[in-house]
Amino acid sequence: MIFQIALKNFLRQGMRSFLNVVVTALSMVAVVFNLSLYNGFQDQAVRNMVATDVAGGHYRHSGFDLLSPMEWEDQTFQTPGVLTSLPATDKTEVLVLQGQIFPNRRLFPVQLRGLEMGQSLLDLPFQKLEEWTKPVEDIIPIIIGKQMAGKSHLHIGDTVVLRWRDRFGAVDALDARVVDVVPLINPRIDEGVVWMRLDHLRQLTHREGEVSWVAVKQFQGEVGNTEYVPPNELLKDILNLIEQDRKYAIIIWVILIFLAGISVFNTQYLNIFKRQREIGTLMAFGMAPSRIVRLFTVEGSLAAFSAVGVALVLGSIIFAWFQSVGLDVSHLAESQIPIRENIFLKIDPIEVAVSLLVISAIMIVVAWAPVRKISRVEATQALRGRAIT
Amino acid sequence: MINLNLKYYCFALLVFISVWVSFLPQSGWSKDDLAQRLLEEVDKNLWANTKFIDGRLIIDNGRRIRTLSMESWMEGVTKSYSYYKAPARERGTKMLKLDRKLWMYTPHTDRKILIAGHLLRQSMMGSDLSYEDMMEDEKISEAYTGRIDGEEEMEGMKTLVMTLQAKRKTKTYQMLKIWVDPIKKIVLKEEAYAKSGKLLKLIHFKEYRKVDNRLFPRKMIFRDMLKENTKTTYMFDEIRFDVDIPSKYFSQSILKR
Repeated sequence: MIFQIALKNFLRQGMRSFLNVVVTALSMVAVVFNLSLYNGFQDQAVRNMVATDVAGGHYRHSGFDLLSPMEWEDQTFQTPGVLTSLPATDKTEVLVLQGQIFPNRRLFPVQLRGLEMGQSLLDLPFQKLEEWTKPVEDIIPIIIGKQMAGKSHLHIGDTVVLRWRDRFGAVDALDARVVDVVPLINPRIDEGVVWMRLDHLRQLTHREGEVSWVAVKQFQGEVGNTEYVPPNELLKDILNLIEQDRKYAIIIWVILIFLAGISVFNTQYLNIFKRQREIGTLMAFGMAPSRIVRLFTVEGSLAAFSAVGVALVLGSIIFAWFQSVGLDVSHLAESQIPIRENIFLKIDPIEVAVSLLVISAIMIVVAWAPVRKISRVEATQALRGRAIT
Repeated sequence: MINLNLKYYCFALLVFISVWVSFLPQSGWSKDDLAQRLLEEVDKNLWANTKFIDGRLIIDNGRRIRTLSMESWMEGVTKSYSYYKAPARERGTKMLKLDRKLWMYTPHTDRKILIAGHLLRQSMMGSDLSYEDMMEDEKISEAYTGRIDGEEEMEGMKTLVMTLQAKRKTKTYQMLKIWVDPIKKIVLKEEAYAKSGKLLKLIHFKEYRKVDNRLFPRKMIFRDMLKENTKTTYMFDEIRFDVDIPSKYFSQSILKR
């Protein structure tokens, strides 16, 4: 009976109820959208890094740090036999060294990355390097990413001087030809990186059989003096960054819920203020204050329950549209975020359910809080409209 | 053509006789020995037990010119100490080199930094010189073997063109080409090459003058040949040889305010 009365009252409120429902529903949609966007962002960043760089982990020299270029040359090692014998689908050997190019005769420090040809573990479009058959005596074939091409003003077919040091420390230089400029979805392997064939880089630097790391499809057990770095460790910085962003997103989440909560709270407060005579009458007819509190709480909570339904309808429409266009975050590539394509929502049903439940619970609490006063009201005062001031 | 050849042979003969006479007491040497001997003589002219230099480093990066003014004290080939006097931003900066280690002290941070390993290969204060170039601590006669390629006239002087090959694989520049005045035993020009043979650096030694029975350039102009319109000029405003240098100059304790 209480529910029926509450529903009638709720519907009678017309525009006020409608606005409460819409505000709450939009908050729910915004919160779920926000969470799903972060999920999609993280998912795509991780997928891009795994596909182009991380794979199933790296076997590296213990202490190797890509952010310490001064130490790269001292932290190479001979590829252990166990890893060399893996098929091309399961491992990729990579050698990273410092170098400099001089586009338009201006110094441009670069990371020289030698990639094993014939590998298929990493998704890198380097066919042009594989097709190069001439020996590297006069000219070195190189590939750069689009971002690097833009920064260095290099195009396909351009020749640029490349300078490096061999393993003994002697300086060497040759002309390098840009055989291809490729779109790379991971800017971390694009900006400042010059890609070469591993055999060429080894030959030029007298580092036969040496690598900086071996990317593998999966953990191969302990291998010699190398250290296995799992994908989570290699992705740590980007995961931490997204996690940190999620924390900041909670602030927006709290503001949205707060606004929706205020709306419901305000309505409830006005209700008990304006409907004192109704409360007094119900009391005079013998309804217990606790039941009246329940009635008003259910009435207020109906905004939350209706909002869930409206949010599902509204959300489905908005999400379906968004999934067809995505969000362009290519500008983030400038800050080394490994995403260049549009990002899409990744909706986690459990997360959606929990979010809706939490928001609904908050709405019920804010619907109940203002009507608690009714339990302390005297029927005679309420009938005269003086119980709640 | 015949005149030119005749002129060339006369010049070659003159240079050869000059070099030969110059090393007469040791006659009986081969051409390679002569080249080596010439490198040693060049080193003798440039190197001293101790040296004091009051100089300027003029760095022209093609867009603007910066002038660093400094005083340097050197002992042998392994110890040197420099104090930067100008510009205001660099005033008080000190550099101490002991063997293969280089410390830099900056008064702004009041900290000393060890520049070692691969850091030595970075450009020194935006110049065309790396820290490694600046602290080159080997005599060319000890680091390279020389070969006389021929003769050339440069700035009105007859010079021998020599190709120097590094004795060790670890030498930064595996090949140098120098233009030496065989009479005065001075280098007028030096080219540093990559292993591939690509020209990387060019150094001009200008305005030689007599200082304590030695000939020393008033300035050295360094050019990175891979960069456009950049040059670094090292001006030796004052140079003194065999000076007494207080031992504190070669101690890390000097790297403070």
